[in-house]
Amino acid sequence: MIELAQNLIDGLGRGSIYALLALGVAVIFGVMHLLNFAHGEMITVSGYAAFWALGAGWSWTVVVPLILVVSVVTSLLIERLAFSRVRGAPDFTLLLTSFGVHFLVSALLLLYVSASVKNYSRPGWVADTWSLGSLRIEVFDTVVIVITIITLLATTALLQRTMFGLALRAAAADFDTARLMGVRSNSVIRGAFALSGLLAGIAGVFWLMRAGSTNPTAGIDPMLKGVLAALIGGLGSLRGAVLGGFALGLAEVLLRSWLPNSLASLTEGVVFALIALLFIFRPQGLISVTHAERV
Amino acid sequence: MIATAGPISSGHGPELTALRGSQPQTTIHNELMLQLHGVTTKYGAISALREVTLEVNAGEVVGLIGPNGAGKTTLLNTVAGLLQPSNGTVQLAGDDVTGTEPENLLRRGLALVPEHRRIFVDLTVEENLRIGGATVSGERRRELLDDMQQQFPVLRSKWTTRAGYLSGGEAQQLAIARALMAEPKLLMMDEPSLGLAPILVDMVFDLISSLRSNGVTLLVVEQNAQRMLDIADRAYVLRSGQVVSEGTGEELLGRSDLFESFVGGSA
Amino acid sequence: MFPNPGRDIGFSAVGAIGLFALLAGGGLLYQLIIGTGSAERLVTTMLIDAIIVIGIQIYVGNTGVLSFGHVGFGAIAGYSFALFAIPPEEKVKRIADAPWGLVDVSVNPWIAMLVATLITVAVAVVIGVGLARSGAESGAVAATVITLALLFVTHEVARNWPDVTGGDRAGLSFPIGGSLDSRVPIYVSLLAALLIARWYAQSRSGRLAVAAREDNLAARAMGVNPLVQQMAALLISVAIVSVGASLKVYEEGSILPDNFFFNYTLLTLVMLIVGGRNGVTGAVVGVMVMTAGRELTRRLGQDGYELFGLGLDDAPLDWIFRENLQMVFLGLAMLGFMIWRPAGLLDDREFDEWLQRKLGSRGAMTTDQPAPLPELTDIPHASLAVDDVDVRFGGFQALAGAGLEAASGEIVGLIGPNGAGKTTLVNVITGLVEPTAGTFKLDGSDVTVLAPFELARNGLVRTFQNLRLFGALTVRENVEVAAMIAQQHRAERTLRDADDLIAEAGLWDLRDRRARELDYGNSRRLELARAAALAPAFLLLDEPTSGMSDEESLAMVEQVRHMAATVGAGVLVIDHDLAFITGISDRIYVLDQGRIIANGSPTEVQADPAVQAAYLGSGTS
Repeated sequence: MIELAQNLIDGLGRGSIYALLALGVAVIFGVMHLLNFAHGEMITVSGYAAFWALGAGWSWTVVVPLILVVSVVTSLLIERLAFSRVRGAPDFTLLLTSFGVHFLVSALLLLYVSASVKNYSRPGWVADTWSLGSLRIEVFDTVVIVITIITLLATTALLQRTMFGLALRAAAADFDTARLMGVRSNSVIRGAFALSGLLAGIAGVFWLMRAGSTNPTAGIDPMLKGVLAALIGGLGSLRGAVLGGFALGLAEVLLRSWLPNSLASLTEGVVFALIALLFIFRPQGLISVTHAERV
Repeated sequence: MIATAGPISSGHGPELTALRGSQPQTTIHNELMLQLHGVTTKYGAISALREVTLEVNAGEVVGLIGPNGAGKTTLLNTVAGLLQPSNGTVQLAGDDVTGTEPENLLRRGLALVPEHRRIFVDLTVEENLRIGGATVSGERRRELLDDMQQQFPVLRSKWTTRAGYLSGGEAQQLAIARALMAEPKLLMMDEPSLGLAPILVDMVFDLISSLRSNGVTLLVVEQNAQRMLDIADRAYVLRSGQVVSEGTGEELLGRSDLFESFVGGSA
Repeated sequence: MFPNPGRDIGFSAVGAIGLFALLAGGGLLYQLIIGTGSAERLVTTMLIDAIIVIGIQIYVGNTGVLSFGHVGFGAIAGYSFALFAIPPEEKVKRIADAPWGLVDVSVNPWIAMLVATLITVAVAVVIGVGLARSGAESGAVAATVITLALLFVTHEVARNWPDVTGGDRAGLSFPIGGSLDSRVPIYVSLLAALLIARWYAQSRSGRLAVAAREDNLAARAMGVNPLVQQMAALLISVAIVSVGASLKVYEEGSILPDNFFFNYTLLTLVMLIVGGRNGVTGAVVGVMVMTAGRELTRRLGQDGYELFGLGLDDAPLDWIFRENLQMVFLGLAMLGFMIWRPAGLLDDREFDEWLQRKLGSRGAMTTDQPAPLPELTDIPHASLAVDDVDVRFGGFQALAGAGLEAASGEIVGLIGPNGAGKTTLVNVITGLVEPTAGTFKLDGSDVTVLAPFELARNGLVRTFQNLRLFGALTVRENVEVAAMIAQQHRAERTLRDADDLIAEAGLWDLRDRRARELDYGNSRRLELARAAALAPAFLLLDEPTSGMSDEESLAMVEQVRHMAATVGAGVLVIDHDLAFITGISDRIYVLDQGRIIANGSPTEVQADPAVQAAYLGSGTS
């Protein structure tokens, strides 16, 4: 029982980060129909920024906002340089464009920044724990869960209450009609990339705090988790993406504790296999996006 | 120009008929609102519009009728900037706006209520209206939202309902109200009576009349030719992508060959 | 005289040999000029990459589904091959604890390659079922993600199951001197891969897969089950990739998880798209261009200006020319081609087809325009009955008790104003929409719930209002695809030759043009010819004259009537154009607000006041 509760908390902590990543992926898919395989690059690039800043003696208090800014700027730059040129192209082209962006960014970092793994100091409290009865809860998980909940609430408010959020939702539902209402396609797409970059930045802060290091291909893992979680939830559904993130986090943690020791190292492989199975039996994901039938 | 149409329940009373009958074009229709010159629009190899020329004067209600596939929707979509003409020019209030994007055309005062309404089914009624007012200031938007509650009591009662749950008539009112939120000078409607029960068709035509009496210029595509011609100042008949007749509503209604030109008789 | 998928076998074989000569000859020439051991290794690598890229092309090119997973299949094959081919005394050093007695297994490398291929193909069957299911439900994106998941599963397993794979660092290795030391097996495999790729593209399955790639809905409406063809393409493709991957492992002498992961996926995909993914020639050219470009940038990164013998110290671009420059090149190539030339350098152009055109021959059958076709006199009886059909979408009733009947030999018209429910009725008849109530019978048997491709095989063939041709295929290929399906599923009918139908449609001079290059009228005629080639019992024409001028419409009337008569099909025409409908139909149904409001001869229907009201709208309310 204790173990299960422990696992649930671990899973929620992990799932929070995935949920933020997945939400960013889903936002972009909504407006552009692009499944963004370059979603991890924001974290890769801001990882290097964090490494430099920490190396220069800055404290995490300053580095956190720095990561957020770098992440948003990277997202907007990628949109400007690559994705804006393939708007409306077939899925095939969009997918490979994002794949190309991923490779180009990691190659540029590899060549012109550093090929080696860069280590930096993690904030001291990351390893701390506190106890609740016989539960030992990581301070880090607690912070992640709380910040994620706040972020999700803020994002919901943004999407529900502001004109930008409304425009984003309208454009995701029907781009042409949104334009007929005066929604500027450029602003809404750039806004989506900024939001997606910010969400990736917040997830990136946690990711980088926990990792304590970065390298040119560090973005693959978070990208993959975000993309898979968004797919698990059902592409196009923002709620689904969040749900998918938590489901993925919980599945990883629970599987790791249930699998026999000899197979524990295969957890990730088993998770990927389960996801492939999910798609075979439920290709539309957990939440299928259905709209009221138009007459 | 502010679209403060009265409650939609007011039918087209005698004063409206008088307006259409007595006002000579030179006094009220002194300004060209929309002018198409030689517009050709293609879908791949298909020419959906062939050298269409037409005009809409300020304050007029102009009907656009014709059989399915005649190019009526293509014409509206071309004017609204959703489609690019391969030839010809579109002028709005004297400015060449050919090829301008829909979001910028709206800012110049041209709005379209698209075919099949295309309301945002996952947004609430209020959200649909707010997005319609995306181009006006926040303060003005709030005023307009209040106006719409007054003018469309049906919508007020479903204010926070997701638009996908509205009935056909309600959805049509929402689509029109949404377009009015942008305070357009020229409002184009694509088949506003499509799929509506007869009583709701009456409602739509009453609404068109009251919009006109409030100074909105209208270009309306309508399948229901008879009803359209009853209220239109002028109308164009489109067939196979070309304008085949034009005239005032009465003139066209009196034409015995109208049915043939509609369904493709040998006229 | 029927289109024989094998008729181009000779030419495609010549083409495959030509491509082989290009790759092998180009490689040997380069080796000769450079003359170093590293040049030789580069060429060997290129030849093996070519095998794998051609394998991927068979799936991606013919089905249009983007796969990230083929390198994952390569990993499965590579490890299987290594496990079977590496001698026990070598394996015991790395994976002494391997289960199932794998350590002691040892077979001849060629048998190991066969075993590896079989194992990988077996995995592909399972994955293929998943791809088919997800592709059918939610399109290409879901399928692509499954392939990506496969890539990651294999990589994770390879890294984290050291008992079998040797893990992340050690991997599996052949003993020194135990790896492949001859290029002959590579040459043989490459030539075989090229031949298979070209033959598959021209096979029945390949052509049907390409048809579905070009327009999935139209292909299904013609009786193609795309899932079957995609599975066939996948298995052949995976088999070739498996051979290539085994050779890669054998030649390199070792395997590590990262050898078959993201970077190799990028490399192979870039090679494929740079040349043009839809053609084997494109794949080959892409492999050569990218091998050359990659080597050049690698050297440039390594040696900078030394490469050009300039020997400058402190040259201005040294900060760009760094080790691993080829990685930047690959990323830029992928991005650049996607943005500026997504179809690649050659698109789907094939060397052998070019050769064939140059030599000016397509076999004996093709030079003269065929004689006009006679109309059928002895028409097999067939009937179609739609009875009391309701369709509701949410709260909206699109059809309320609509029904109609048609029999072979007659032309039945269906008209109605916008929003009357015509499209919904067409969708019910063609199997795209299942009615809420009511039945649809073909020759007395209930076909209400059949899938579109099954209906087509049962003799109900449709055309589309918005024209759905297979754009990249030629006029002739469009009709041949249909004739091929008819041969298999409509053999009891009088089958017409594809060339005869093309001539009949007035398209003889345009037969080698791509369908997407045709003007509107010709596209319509091609669609009609393609439908007729399916030997339908009923032709359902959805607004065949929309967008046509009056004269064109009248010509179309004659065309439809004649085309139907030459294949003995009954016709159901849906149109808004009363002139067209009255000119062509024996009987007419008028649909309004989801119901049939009138039915009878053209003159009866024209005079019906209800019809006039439906079209012009009622003046009263």
